[in-house]
Amino acid sequence: MRDRALIAVVSALFILVGIGLFYNQILKHGYYFKLSRNNSIRIVPIDGPRGSIFDRTGKALVTNRMSFDVKLVYQEINDRRKLAGILRDILGMPSEKIVESLEKAGARPYAGVTIAEDIPKEKAFVLEEASCEVSGLHIETRSKRDYILGMFGSHLFGYLSAITEEELERLKDEGYRITDLVGRGGLEKYYERELKGVDGGTQIEVDSRGRQTRVLGVKEPEAGKDLQITIDASLQVAADKLLGDRKGAIIAMDPSNGEILAIASHPSFDPNIFVRPGTSRERLQLLNDKKGRPMSNKAISGIYPPGSVFKVVVASAALDTKKIDAHSSFFCSGTYNLGRASFDCWKAEGHGWQDVIRALMNSCNIFFYNTGRIVGPDSIESYAQRFGFGALTGIDLPDEVRGLVPGRAWKRAHRKIPWYEGDTLNYSIGQGYLLVTPIQVLNMIAVVANNGNLVRPHIVRRVGGEEMPLVKSRPVGLDGNVIKIVREGLFEVVNNDAGTGKRAKVKGVAVAGKTGTAQNPQGRTHAWFCGFAPFERAKICLVVLLEHGGKGGVEPAQIGQGFFEEAKRLGYL
Amino acid sequence: MIIDNKKKRNLDAILLGMTIAIFIIGMLAIYSATQARALSFRESYVFRQAIWFAIGTIFLFSSVRISYQKFIDASYILYGINVSLLVLVLVLGHVRLGAQRWFAIGNFAFQPSEFMKLSLILALSAYIGQRKDTMQSLASLIMPCVIMAIPFVLVLAQPDLGTALTLLPIFFSILLIGGARLKHLGWMTAIGILCAPFFWHCLRGYQKQRLMVFLNPNIDPLGAGYTIIQSKIAIGSGGLLGKGWLNGTQNQLNFTPERHTDFIFSVIGEEWGFFGSIALLLLYFMIIQRAFSIASQTSDRYGRCIATGIAVLLSTQVIVNISMTIGLMPVVGIPLPLVSYGGSSLLTTLVAVGLLLNVGMRRSTF
Repeated sequence: MRDRALIAVVSALFILVGIGLFYNQILKHGYYFKLSRNNSIRIVPIDGPRGSIFDRTGKALVTNRMSFDVKLVYQEINDRRKLAGILRDILGMPSEKIVESLEKAGARPYAGVTIAEDIPKEKAFVLEEASCEVSGLHIETRSKRDYILGMFGSHLFGYLSAITEEELERLKDEGYRITDLVGRGGLEKYYERELKGVDGGTQIEVDSRGRQTRVLGVKEPEAGKDLQITIDASLQVAADKLLGDRKGAIIAMDPSNGEILAIASHPSFDPNIFVRPGTSRERLQLLNDKKGRPMSNKAISGIYPPGSVFKVVVASAALDTKKIDAHSSFFCSGTYNLGRASFDCWKAEGHGWQDVIRALMNSCNIFFYNTGRIVGPDSIESYAQRFGFGALTGIDLPDEVRGLVPGRAWKRAHRKIPWYEGDTLNYSIGQGYLLVTPIQVLNMIAVVANNGNLVRPHIVRRVGGEEMPLVKSRPVGLDGNVIKIVREGLFEVVNNDAGTGKRAKVKGVAVAGKTGTAQNPQGRTHAWFCGFAPFERAKICLVVLLEHGGKGGVEPAQIGQGFFEEAKRLGYL
Repeated sequence: MIIDNKKKRNLDAILLGMTIAIFIIGMLAIYSATQARALSFRESYVFRQAIWFAIGTIFLFSSVRISYQKFIDASYILYGINVSLLVLVLVLGHVRLGAQRWFAIGNFAFQPSEFMKLSLILALSAYIGQRKDTMQSLASLIMPCVIMAIPFVLVLAQPDLGTALTLLPIFFSILLIGGARLKHLGWMTAIGILCAPFFWHCLRGYQKQRLMVFLNPNIDPLGAGYTIIQSKIAIGSGGLLGKGWLNGTQNQLNFTPERHTDFIFSVIGEEWGFFGSIALLLLYFMIIQRAFSIASQTSDRYGRCIATGIAVLLSTQVIVNISMTIGLMPVVGIPLPLVSYGGSSLLTTLVAVGLLLNVGMRRSTF
């Protein structure tokens, strides 16, 4: 009885399916056959525009512009001669290029094949008019990324390039398509998820000549979120211009909250190259330049010995551990002997008696050799870490590196030899194994500017109108008096006529800072300047690094002066 | 041969013949759906499907030779192994199509949820077959519910809504044939429906979307709705006689996605027309009728439960799959047995046919 019922139910369902087939294949056959014969359903994608990037004053830095592509649908072409005439007259296409384009379109007869990308707007309008007279020719409007500052701030923004097969496999579920561009480097990469829009599209029915007859469905695209960043466009441009064609980096930050005001790295590139058609040679050149490495952001990914700017850390360590006080002095004769070896001061005739403030001002090596030996490498290591060296600052940019804060344990583990006294001497003047990034040096100087508080540098302030949470500054645990003495030393560096950084002096604003001239195995010394202004309540701290730039007191200090002057002009100081 | 002559006579040659006929139709359709990819013969879908068929045939005949009573004896062990595999696939499985359903063994993917259908049938049959009169009580339904719930939840968690839902009709039909009271089955259905909102909450985004799209394909004409629309155009444009093998424009021009697996019927509908579709449907119907008649002619309770379970399993897959290609049901990702490309499904179906033959051969004659 029950099995009969079950069979009846199953049979009824089979009959229902049969009826469904009859309805679709017999009754509605004409309708569906027409749709299939014309292949008449097309999907016209509508890009979900990528979010724009605005500076702190609301000025647009990265946006999207309209770009016009020319497409051919081979199957629809009925008058090849007329079509060729239009392409030749309006686009100025040579006839061999036209033949080639037609062949390309013929390879995928039903799909639109792009034959010219990003044509000027005026030509696009003329062509649009002309396309009414000839079938198979379509103008597609797409939004293209526009980096308004061009060569300026390129490492900050990053660039876009086509999604790779691997990435597509991984990101398919998030709505990525084969033609999508994804962020590479800079904010474009770090905030890819936020910036990316969701593509929509229209499913349309077209007639046999490819003209739209009706819309079957529309899926609205969603725009990506806009970013408002802490950068000031004018300061950014100033930083880039001050670097000019030198290799190096400049970063400026508000030390009270970690807002980055400008971040520049040179050599630079124009991110527009990656979205413009027909620039593959330039792209390859940029990506393969192993010497200049224009794609790498030296401000956060470049590692260098800090040289004398590190004396800020050694002085703080010595004062905080009470190994020296403000009046402890050492005599500089120009050389320092350790066993048989002798270590020189940069000034051959010597600085004479030096206390910590004078030693910072003169950047006297001998004072710091003595101090470093009293303090010892373990303390230097731990204070370097307190100032943020050897760790990521956590800035919202990709590819930041840690650098290296060496120590006894590190050397034993990695070099298989013990720590020597000579290592301590090198350590005390920021040489040897120590490696830092410019942003770490910026963080260090911000601690001094900010009376002993470490901030987290960041660039994005708002995402899609929503405020980003601010990471609170935290004290690094230095005695207030220690900072006071170090600050005094850094004031003298710039404002004393004998100071190494006197070129950074700005009229009407009290600047403090430290220079550095770092020896390195690759050649000429790297040149550093880091500083802050105004002295009493710092609003800007700055780091300048010039790769193989000679002395820190010369060009970097001058660049520092130039930057502070521009900041003053803009009302920041 | 251990099988004696009487049993051999009982071997249902017609059932076997229809199975092979449907498989051949499937191979032709897979060839048509994938030939445009111009893969080398060894990489081609047809070749791989043939290998699976060869393996499946070995399994089929092995499962015929061993009495199904042995399967019943081992059913709980098989069930346990299969459940562990489902757990394992959740932990290790490759992520494909947004769901973790597969193990990869060399070049072949292996999907334990397919085999679960058979393990469930065997385990339920073993439990119910043993209890002749006690099925009337409510307490005796507790164990079957547990046996059902474990794989159901695991498959749902993969998440594979389609396969999980195919387990339900199997469960109910075996209980029905096993003698459970209609009142109790009714209560269970009611509770299940009341739990539905909870399950809706557990569904992944794309599954909710598919169900929503089924209710209104226009909300997503580019994604899930696109497949349904293109599949309907393909089948509808086939008309009475079809466009001919290898001549379906929807198929050859790549309009219908997933058309060698879950949407293979759109290829058959387009190229073989209404006649072809109905012929295939009839072949399935005959197999299923055969399965039901084996069930009713078997006096052994175990055998009857197994045959009924398999009949319902095949019916569910055929009805749901074809219905979704013509927009009568939501797209849930259930293969068309013996036709859709895919080793695990083919293997499961062939073993199921083997079990059917097995029960049919050993039915006691009155």
